[in-house]
Amino acid sequence: MDFGFTPEQDALRAQARRLLDQELPLERILAWSAAPSALDRALWKKTAALGWAGLTVAEAHGGLGLGAVDLIVLLEEMGKSLCPLPLAATDLAAAALGALGDGAQQAAWLPKIARGDVVATVAIAEGSDVPTADGVAARAGARGTDVTLDGTKLFVPDGQHADLLLIAAREGAGVSLFAVPADTPGVTVRPLVVVDATKPAAEIALAGAVVPARNRLGAVGGAWPTLARLVDRQTITHAAEMVGSADAALRLAVEYAKVRRQFGSPIGRFQGVKHRCAEMLCDVESARSLVYYAAWAVDHAPDDVPSYASMAKAAASEALDTAGEECVQIHGAIGYTWECHAHLFYKRGRQSHVWLGAPDEHYERVMTVLQHG
Amino acid sequence: MDFTFSAEDEAFRAEVRAFIRDHLPKRSGQDQMDVEEGMSDLPALYKWNQDLHAKGWVGFHWPREVGGGGGTISEQMILKEEMARVKAPMLGLSYMGLAWVGPALIKYGTQEQKDRHIGPILRGEVQWCTGYSEPGAGSDLAALQCRAVRDGDDYVVNGQKIWTSLAMWAQWMILLVRTDPRAPKHLGITCLLVPMSTPGLTVKPIKEMNGGAMFAEVFFEDVRVAVANRLGAEGQGWDVTKDALANERSSIADVWALKHRLEAIRDLAARRTRRGRPAIEDPGIRQRIARMETQVEAMRLNGLRFVTKQLRGEPLGAETSINKLIRARIEIESGRLARDIEGSFGILAKTSPHAVDKGRWQKVMLSWPPFVIGGGTPNIQKNVIAERILGLPHDV
Repeated sequence: MDFGFTPEQDALRAQARRLLDQELPLERILAWSAAPSALDRALWKKTAALGWAGLTVAEAHGGLGLGAVDLIVLLEEMGKSLCPLPLAATDLAAAALGALGDGAQQAAWLPKIARGDVVATVAIAEGSDVPTADGVAARAGARGTDVTLDGTKLFVPDGQHADLLLIAAREGAGVSLFAVPADTPGVTVRPLVVVDATKPAAEIALAGAVVPARNRLGAVGGAWPTLARLVDRQTITHAAEMVGSADAALRLAVEYAKVRRQFGSPIGRFQGVKHRCAEMLCDVESARSLVYYAAWAVDHAPDDVPSYASMAKAAASEALDTAGEECVQIHGAIGYTWECHAHLFYKRGRQSHVWLGAPDEHYERVMTVLQHG
Repeated sequence: MDFTFSAEDEAFRAEVRAFIRDHLPKRSGQDQMDVEEGMSDLPALYKWNQDLHAKGWVGFHWPREVGGGGGTISEQMILKEEMARVKAPMLGLSYMGLAWVGPALIKYGTQEQKDRHIGPILRGEVQWCTGYSEPGAGSDLAALQCRAVRDGDDYVVNGQKIWTSLAMWAQWMILLVRTDPRAPKHLGITCLLVPMSTPGLTVKPIKEMNGGAMFAEVFFEDVRVAVANRLGAEGQGWDVTKDALANERSSIADVWALKHRLEAIRDLAARRTRRGRPAIEDPGIRQRIARMETQVEAMRLNGLRFVTKQLRGEPLGAETSINKLIRARIEIESGRLARDIEGSFGILAKTSPHAVDKGRWQKVMLSWPPFVIGGGTPNIQKNVIAERILGLPHDV
């Protein structure tokens, strides 16, 4: 029994912390969020050289062949820094290629992903709901040895930065997944203007976009069971980022409460402030435990994944939404100025709370699993 | 991360399960807070204590030299988990003796004191109570004023204790008294072991809001306690009562008790109706149940992180207060939720013939305070977390 990290995982965490502190201090995130620009490809390549982009990619394809627990170590640290690098999205695409792709497809894309030459993402959602098979309305139609794609994908994580889009589309009676280079004619990627600029998302319009049928990953109409598992993976990795952000928001509030003096005393001495901080810590640590176990379950206890992904996301949503909000409040008036970093966490909390399902949707799933297994 | 146990640990788990199959007494208690019901069949519980003791499972985390079980951290957790899973009675009848007195004796007792007290505690023959809290010293326990003055070979004790659990049934008390009023408040305290039959000692039960009485006030009027019954040195009392033994901190027994309760609440929700449909189909009810299930699961996993630290030999500090806070939330919310699911039946007292489930939920609703307030109120837990983990300033 050991619910902790290995020395290697601790080293990975320390490496991430050093690099993120150097490259992406919150001052830089703040400046960037005022005018979001293109992905910093040099930084992406630098992290890829450390093995991040290919962390869970098989060694045969140039990756490190590590697991979901290793991945969430990185993502938790990235969440603390509100790091906008598209690691979760790229990992998800790599996991999709690993699960559905054949040897040629994997050989074509995974080494490039692992090297940092290709940023990738997966486009599933189209509406307001948590992604479901029925919610996929984009269509794939056969045209000789090609496939044409039509429809609109929404809320595609880091879609505007991706070179490779894995697009879910209805084909026959089921859902298929297609590897679509972002520069394919008929594909239009529009960045969405979002509350939290550090968490980019895009709309992808498909108007008769043509890809060879060999770009289909897996069987015709047979992708959904895998995609459903990938949505759970995405939910867990997102919750890991949220736990990191919630932790950082709490620390920011606590450090301010130690130095800000009113009534002749640091405000952190007042129970109105310190008790809220203690409750936040309780919620952050609880979400963290759920995220860690859910990530472990991805590779070791697949039957536990749906319920724990939902518990982790619900708990992380509540913890971060509250921590961001309290961070603003504990800072007082300075807390809602642009210069103070509190609003960055507040925005991350408000946005992440609903992305991939608000707590009520996840609690409903927890209840369904409890009743029906 | 690895959630599997070693072959030795799994063999131990199998041993516990076999023991449960052969020895578990039949019991009517539905909740851990059913102390009265749980104590109702004393001969069966006494037999249970003897069977457990024969295995070394009473005082399982105590060293073998003193008659404990010498259980490892993971074995302790397995024993508690397997017992809680089947709603077994407590691991030993001498509840306070096992929780407070034994650990203090092991660390600070003279050989004579150990020989006299540890065996009866392990065999469940003697009930103890703890004379700690006072009317003016609750959360601020170190402010206690109950006074002991040395007089020859005795201390003479005058003062009052309160919230003394099980005092009506106890034969002995572990008592904290002030022996040096001029010393800093933590340093002027001494620990005494006091027979409850000593002249001048009076026990007055306190009726609680649920109608029962598990607590008492205890009054001391010139109560003479032999110096030989002092535990540790004079002025060492504050340290004496801190449990320093390697006790596993997973809170797994509490987690299982709460899991059982939530299971029963789901069952209740399947039997009651809202707007003509089973209450368990009501979206609001479902949200509340699932949210509590999520918190219990977080508590379980938090506990596994704490135990991992213990297994790795890393210091474990104030973080266990996190689970105490979560438990407090669930203790309170579970009673409130069950009442809401009962609907109009929620107005019935537990003694009403119409009460649902023989009034179990009214009891839950009215019986959480000892579990939530005792051992540090939620506000005190929040102070502990804020000060010791987050490094915020002390407020006094």
